Amino acid sequence: MNQVALITGGGNGIGRAVAHRMAAAGMTVIVADFDHAAAEQVRAEIVDAGGKADALSVDVTVAREVKGVVGDVAQRFGRIDVLANIAGGSFYTKRIDDFTWAEWKKVIDTNLKGTFLMCREVAPIMQKQKSGRILNTASNYGVTGSALRAPYSAAKAGIIAFTKSLALELAPDGVRVNTVAPGPTDTPRVMEKETPEGRRQRWSSAIPLGRTAQPEDLAELYYFLTTPESAAITGQLFHCNGGLL
Amino acid sequence: MRLQNKVAVITGGAQGIGRAIALGMGREGANVVIADLQGERARSVADEAQALGTEAIAVEVNVASEVSVKRLADQTFEHFGRIDILVNDAGIYLKAPVVSKTEEDWDRTIDINLGGNFLCARAFVPAMRKQKSGRIISIASSIAHTGAREFADYAASKAAIIGFVKALARELGPDGITVNAICPGSANTDMPRRHRSEEETMARLRATPLGHILEPDDIAGPILFLASDAAAYITGQAYNINCGTVMI
Repeated sequence: MNQVALITGGGNGIGRAVAHRMAAAGMTVIVADFDHAAAEQVRAEIVDAGGKADALSVDVTVAREVKGVVGDVAQRFGRIDVLANIAGGSFYTKRIDDFTWAEWKKVIDTNLKGTFLMCREVAPIMQKQKSGRILNTASNYGVTGSALRAPYSAAKAGIIAFTKSLALELAPDGVRVNTVAPGPTDTPRVMEKETPEGRRQRWSSAIPLGRTAQPEDLAELYYFLTTPESAAITGQLFHCNGGLL
Repeated sequence: MRLQNKVAVITGGAQGIGRAIALGMGREGANVVIADLQGERARSVADEAQALGTEAIAVEVNVASEVSVKRLADQTFEHFGRIDILVNDAGIYLKAPVVSKTEEDWDRTIDINLGGNFLCARAFVPAMRKQKSGRIISIASSIAHTGAREFADYAASKAAIIGFVKALARELGPDGITVNAICPGSANTDMPRRHRSEEETMARLRATPLGHILEPDDIAGPILFLASDAAAYITGQAYNINCGTVMI
């Protein structure tokens, strides 16, 4: 059976690598991103490589957009087997007293509310199918906290607990829900702000494996969590950080 | 095949979860050493692995004995010349309330469940270091997180394995060796049946959020993933496999 995977934040970084991994495994991948051009680019890459993909743009913080997009995907493809919520970001690094309410809301909504809205629309489809896998994305900061990233850390910790609750709600219908927590990962967004040498100096001694992650390292874990080998796994948090935490 | 030509040592490989891991690795192309206190059973699992077209040997070992573990390492190197994957699954599970637990039983549980991890790691790490690669995967338990009445020594030994794994991951990361633990929930093996009736065992196994009975292969799958190249960036973790019964 042809499986359908919907990946938010699929236009860049970890989301892009996950989209490629799922497509390489034969899934039809719907690349969803705030940035339509980026989503379209990844769609084209997958199709060029012989895979099946579609692209769409969505702002995961807007309930009616999410509803529209999920409804459209379900109608066109008939099912959704995998939802990977990867859209997110920390956006700001600054002290708590410098955060405006609007900035706080932007970080919480993009990460936490976006995950909720996507799950709210996709879960009933998976429940009806009596199968499905949802993969949410946290961060090591969701466990350790991070100075200057208070809303991001809060949102990511929220995703971990949200995932556990949803896992319990959906388990009777055979739908599994897990969280992946990346550590420092070389995504284009991060690399814009850092040189490879600066990054190496900053992390190599802190990370036991001596290097930061490539998006493909994470993609393997997301993919594993969609396979039958992970059939007995739900509600869990999977760190992938080279031993940093 | 994800583990083609790798050499894997599985302690406690003669039955239950360890057997499923050994056969799973064999199916993925690894050569396997079935290391178990029960030599006869280990040989029969080695035969099963051979039938999959891989090379397998059985070694009788007491993981709580330095001499015996050294012999295991010697036989592994003699036969296969290398080690890529060490799975620490050998363990025991003795029931008694803390107030009446004997010192002998306490020592046995801690020495086998926890000490076996130390002795086996110590015996195989130098070879992994030399080749700048390796995978160590230890079987802890959900009970490390939840505790269990009348199994305090078992709970302590399994929680200690997680601490040991995290420390060892930090030590061995620079050598490209990953070290992880798996925390299974109660699985459909002989182990839970030792202290409960068949009916009670099955009722407990069914009572999970997923309503799925945890089978040895459900635990072997994630271990094959951790042993493969796909998990090269994962170290120091304790992943839970329990059908949703414990989330921590």
